[in-house]
Amino acid sequence: MTTSLADHLRALPDEALAALLQARPDLVVPVPADLSALAIRAQSRVSVARALDGLDQFTLLILDAARLTRDPENGTTSVDGVQTMATTGPRPPAPAEVRAAVHRLRGLLLLYGPDTALHLVGGIDELSPYPAGLGRPAAELDLRTAALCADPAKLRRTLLAAPPSARAILDRLAAGPPVGSVPPGALLAPPVGGEDDLPPDATNGGAPTGSPVRWLVDHRLLVPVSGGKTGAAGTVELPREVGLLLRRDTGPLGALRTAAPPVAAAPREPKAADSAGAGQTMEAVRQTEALLEQLAAEPAPVLRSGGLGVRDLRRLARAVGLDESAAALLLEVAYAAGLVGEMDLPGATTGRYGADQQVLPTGGYEVWRAVSLAQRWEQLGRAWLTMTRQAGLVGQRDDRDRPIAVLSAEAERAGAPAARRAVLGVLADLEPATAPTPEEVLELLDWRAPRRARGRETAHREVLAEAATLGVTGLGALTSYGRLLLADVTSADERGADDPLGLRADTESGDPSTAVRALDALLPAPVDHFLVQADLTVVVPGPPDPALAAELEVVAEHESAGGASVHRVTPASVRRALDAGYSADDLHGLFRRRSRTPVPQGLTYLVDDVARKHGGLRVGSAGAYVRSDDEALLAEVLADKRLEPLAFRRLAPTVLATPYQVNRMLLTLRDAGYAPVPEDAAGSAVLSRPKNRRAPARVSVATRTVDPLTGPKLSLPRLLGVVEQIRRGDAAARAARRAPAVVRGGTPTRPTPAHTHSDALAVLQQAVRDKALVWVGYVDAHGATASRLVRPVSIGAGYLRAEDERTEMLHTFALHRITAAVLEE
Amino acid sequence: MSGGPLIVQSDKTLLLEIDHPDAQACRMAIAPFAELERSPEHVHTYRLTPLGLWNARAAGHDAEGVVDALLKYSRYPVPHALLVDVAETMDRYGRLQLANDPAHGLVLRALDRVVLIEVAKSKKLAGMLGTKLDDDTIQVHPSERGRLKQALLKLGWPAEDLAGYVDGEAHPIDLATDGKDGSKPWTLRSYQREAVEAFWAGGSGVVVLPCGAGKTLVGAAAMAEAKATTLILVTNTVAGRQWKRELIARTSLTEEEIGEYSGERKEIRPVTIATYQVLTSRRGGAFTHLDLFGARDWGLVVYDEVHLLPAPIFRFTADLQARRRLGLTATLVREDGREGDVFSLIGPKRYDAPWKDIESQGWIAPAQCTEVRVTLTDAERMSYATAEAEERYRMAATARTKMPVVRALVERHPQEQVLVIGGFLDQLHQLGEYLDAPIIQGSTTNKERERLFDAFRSGAIRTLVISKVGNFSIDLPEAAVAIQVSGTFGSRQEEAQRLGRVLRPKADGRQAHFYTVVSRDTIDTEYAAHRQRFLAEQGYAYTIVDADDVLGPSLPSLD
Repeated sequence: MTTSLADHLRALPDEALAALLQARPDLVVPVPADLSALAIRAQSRVSVARALDGLDQFTLLILDAARLTRDPENGTTSVDGVQTMATTGPRPPAPAEVRAAVHRLRGLLLLYGPDTALHLVGGIDELSPYPAGLGRPAAELDLRTAALCADPAKLRRTLLAAPPSARAILDRLAAGPPVGSVPPGALLAPPVGGEDDLPPDATNGGAPTGSPVRWLVDHRLLVPVSGGKTGAAGTVELPREVGLLLRRDTGPLGALRTAAPPVAAAPREPKAADSAGAGQTMEAVRQTEALLEQLAAEPAPVLRSGGLGVRDLRRLARAVGLDESAAALLLEVAYAAGLVGEMDLPGATTGRYGADQQVLPTGGYEVWRAVSLAQRWEQLGRAWLTMTRQAGLVGQRDDRDRPIAVLSAEAERAGAPAARRAVLGVLADLEPATAPTPEEVLELLDWRAPRRARGRETAHREVLAEAATLGVTGLGALTSYGRLLLADVTSADERGADDPLGLRADTESGDPSTAVRALDALLPAPVDHFLVQADLTVVVPGPPDPALAAELEVVAEHESAGGASVHRVTPASVRRALDAGYSADDLHGLFRRRSRTPVPQGLTYLVDDVARKHGGLRVGSAGAYVRSDDEALLAEVLADKRLEPLAFRRLAPTVLATPYQVNRMLLTLRDAGYAPVPEDAAGSAVLSRPKNRRAPARVSVATRTVDPLTGPKLSLPRLLGVVEQIRRGDAAARAARRAPAVVRGGTPTRPTPAHTHSDALAVLQQAVRDKALVWVGYVDAHGATASRLVRPVSIGAGYLRAEDERTEMLHTFALHRITAAVLEE
Repeated sequence: MSGGPLIVQSDKTLLLEIDHPDAQACRMAIAPFAELERSPEHVHTYRLTPLGLWNARAAGHDAEGVVDALLKYSRYPVPHALLVDVAETMDRYGRLQLANDPAHGLVLRALDRVVLIEVAKSKKLAGMLGTKLDDDTIQVHPSERGRLKQALLKLGWPAEDLAGYVDGEAHPIDLATDGKDGSKPWTLRSYQREAVEAFWAGGSGVVVLPCGAGKTLVGAAAMAEAKATTLILVTNTVAGRQWKRELIARTSLTEEEIGEYSGERKEIRPVTIATYQVLTSRRGGAFTHLDLFGARDWGLVVYDEVHLLPAPIFRFTADLQARRRLGLTATLVREDGREGDVFSLIGPKRYDAPWKDIESQGWIAPAQCTEVRVTLTDAERMSYATAEAEERYRMAATARTKMPVVRALVERHPQEQVLVIGGFLDQLHQLGEYLDAPIIQGSTTNKERERLFDAFRSGAIRTLVISKVGNFSIDLPEAAVAIQVSGTFGSRQEEAQRLGRVLRPKADGRQAHFYTVVSRDTIDTEYAAHRQRFLAEQGYAYTIVDADDVLGPSLPSLD
């Protein structure tokens, strides 16, 4: 077949070949050497899988029809055959649709050859074993089943005889997939005599049948594929013939939908959707900013395993008033947008894990803050669309049952952008402002590319939730600006032409700001004024312009945010403003200028009152001070040219301060002829006298004995002790010296080991009786030979117990380790 | 952008710009589900709370309507998440119902079985639920009705109470709008009628109206609606007598039908007025007078000054869930933070009106609030600076420097009846001597009080010094000036109640004056700021003046 595919390729005109390569671009990476190589690659499992992934449900079913209608002899089918099979059924698709599907399959080189002898490309059967959800032919499964299937009348009778519960199972398997698992023991026969104890049939309350699966297997309608008679859990398969028979009403391919399933929801008011979405964008931007401000105030340490800890996430989320999943999403998006980054801790030590890096806003954050709301949102939205992160995984557990942390590598998913575009693509292809339910979106995705959608339902649901959180959708519908952003990102990424989800071929919209402009029109214009009220609240009736926001940040406490913002002026906030360099007049001016309403008298009074007290205490640092009750003397000191280096400053008529330390000032003052006295913290004078330098104390020789040469006087007991010590040492030395050669081992001329050993035993037994000292040679635990002079105490149970007189310890020797024993002479 | 008057904030507060032409319509639209939190002069703040949304559900509003109102009046796009949250919160209401089962009495019934299973497993409900009747129904002991509702509210699954109210013992009560004993005919004011209607439609609840706005009449109208025996709980005997006078004057009730249950008298009549004090007095550790609640088959229980409701009454109120309950207050600000208990046990806030609205309708006197700051003498400052922390407030509040200021203020209004209100008895006695005015304090007998009040009303006494006892429920119609010299630390509701003393509308529509004398640069100023917060939020802008401006150029010498 390979040759025929290669031949087919060879026969194709260049344009057709080019079109094929465009449809399946993975075939030319790397460029194949010749057409045979191309043919082999086109049949490879990976490449075929890619081609199949992009197909919609209908086209896949037509391909399945082609597989089912294959001639068992030569493996070919015909367009007519496919068409016949596809149009059998209650609601047949138009023949043109079938032909179009076949044409698509041909274009992807999944089918090739003339209409009457269509070939299937290899590798398809491996990828989906059950075409159209039908099982294998009975002949491949079980001979007796095959025999039943060969007799249509009997097969029909058997089917009709099936009890309702069994029929329900059959119907489920017939709808596909044709394989089901059965619990352990379901296929075993009931115990003999126990047939009557079976519960009545659950579905209709009819005669007891025991396990319906067993009934089906017994009647050859199902074939056990594994685990059959052993009683373990197993699987059963519905033979193709039975499946086809059961599908009489729906057609052999099951329900065929040539177009995507419709969405039941009526389109919403586009303005309402846009408005809700725009409101949400404001929220998302504001919350992101609040999160980053929190991070800036208290940077979060990076975990050893990457990402932020659960506690930090919780803290951030709580501070902003979000739930953790939303906070995780915004953090991920902000990171992807480059607004957050890691920084090495200054003076980081490698000894402690985790604290080496911190996550905090980047320089890009400053730029981001300065641009308009719509632009800020666009940056976030763009980052979200393209980031390969699945924020919904945060907080779940990974394969090793460890929680997945935000910003950690575990939340990385390469397929995330594609999933987002797939979901938003579905929304984008609907009428504007249509708000399908999540289930409908999943159904649509399942129709558009079943092979892609399957198993990703959770991810797709998350995309919908994230889109709502970020304001890409509003009231469940894609917003107008969201649509523009999506188109923009898609066209910017046009390389993804193999993306069968198509999205929108909006090639012309190269202008990056269409989405921003659309959103800008929806968002409230920034305001530059506020309303001041008697309860000292300041209400900015809209998003403040940056200058106003900066001013308010200093002079008032933030209370509530959203469409407008509410601030409260408190004594503390006024003090802060004064600290920041505002004067009371500046503040009055600010309130007068910005307020649309008369400034309440209470506020004016508050500002004046705080300003009056502001700076009532002055704080500074000084190295030392000079004080004197004699003001004239201090004036003299201050005027003294020689003291200029001390940089005296007059704090009060009686106090001077200098940045220098006390000692230096004392010296300088004394040099200049003054008579200063230092004082301590309590104000009492500290008297000082010059200190004489001294070396460390030594003992006088006078305490020694007069003649260093006279020997020490020794008492008798001490002398006796010395003698005994000497004797012991001598004995030890002698013993060491005199260990006999036999005992020491290593003598070349020693007798056979067996002989020595029995000799040794005899010697030892004698020594026990005589209480004599014996040299014992033995092999110690490390295999080294050693010897010891001991007095044997007893022998028994394979051990020698003996006393070492030198160490006064009782030793135990294993007899088999003793190599020699010699009486001490 | 619709350019509406409403701005929806992400913390679920709603800012209503009241100078906007649509503001009034918007207020009507959002009032059913949003709680008025602050009403200063330009922007009123409402808040969306789960409780408020559930009350709206109970009153028949659905989430769709709430969302529509928000979208219709909102100036800016409303965040999608907030709309979803509103819908979800409202959807939680009524999944459980409290209903009367003909066979089993009070039952908790589930429209959503999972919710019932969830709450039945909760430890907080342990002991409140009886036997399970079927998958969707659990029996409830009638005495647990209040506690169960409260607990379910805390669990976030508020039950719809379909069990209704007992009618109580019927007793004819009518409003004597045609005038009684020769007095002039009168009608309920519009807001009073709205309040009664809102209360009656909801069954039970709290009506919040400013001091002097005629809360007693709301109570009387509610009684006329119930036409049943009524128990009225008031703060003290004087207030009780006043209720009695008012009821006799404004309703068909006669003196014989109204009983007083207080420390002095123990009468139980179709309409009984009891004081909180007597109900919570204990003998041998037991509340001896709580039987009053069961003494008759009350059809209505009225709680006056509900913000002062003592804790033991809370407990017994939980048992009274089958009876209609009406709470009345001017300031539902409890310094103990138990506003939530008031709402869940007596009922949600059924009616609330911004003070300034009622002032603009002319039902309460316009008041000018002034804070007078006195500068302590150096000696006073020095002793204040070195005082112990717990002594500081007393020292600052009772500074003798305040006295000439008070006298100057009294002299400023020579034609007016003046109340001087303070918290420290020593200071009040000094002031009484200094101003030559009688003092009313806790130890003053009821008889003496009434005598002094009568004299004050008649104008025989122009200045009256009162302690904390006068904070509540005394009717001094012609007091037009109040001077506050000290208070209970930073109590917001005390300040509001004291302002209320001068808010009753004056015969000639004169302006009322409220002065609070504060020592500058002391803790007194901080407390004053906190005290003023409630009123500032109601739109009463305090003007701050220096004592020197009051006193004029020359300082009078002391002693």
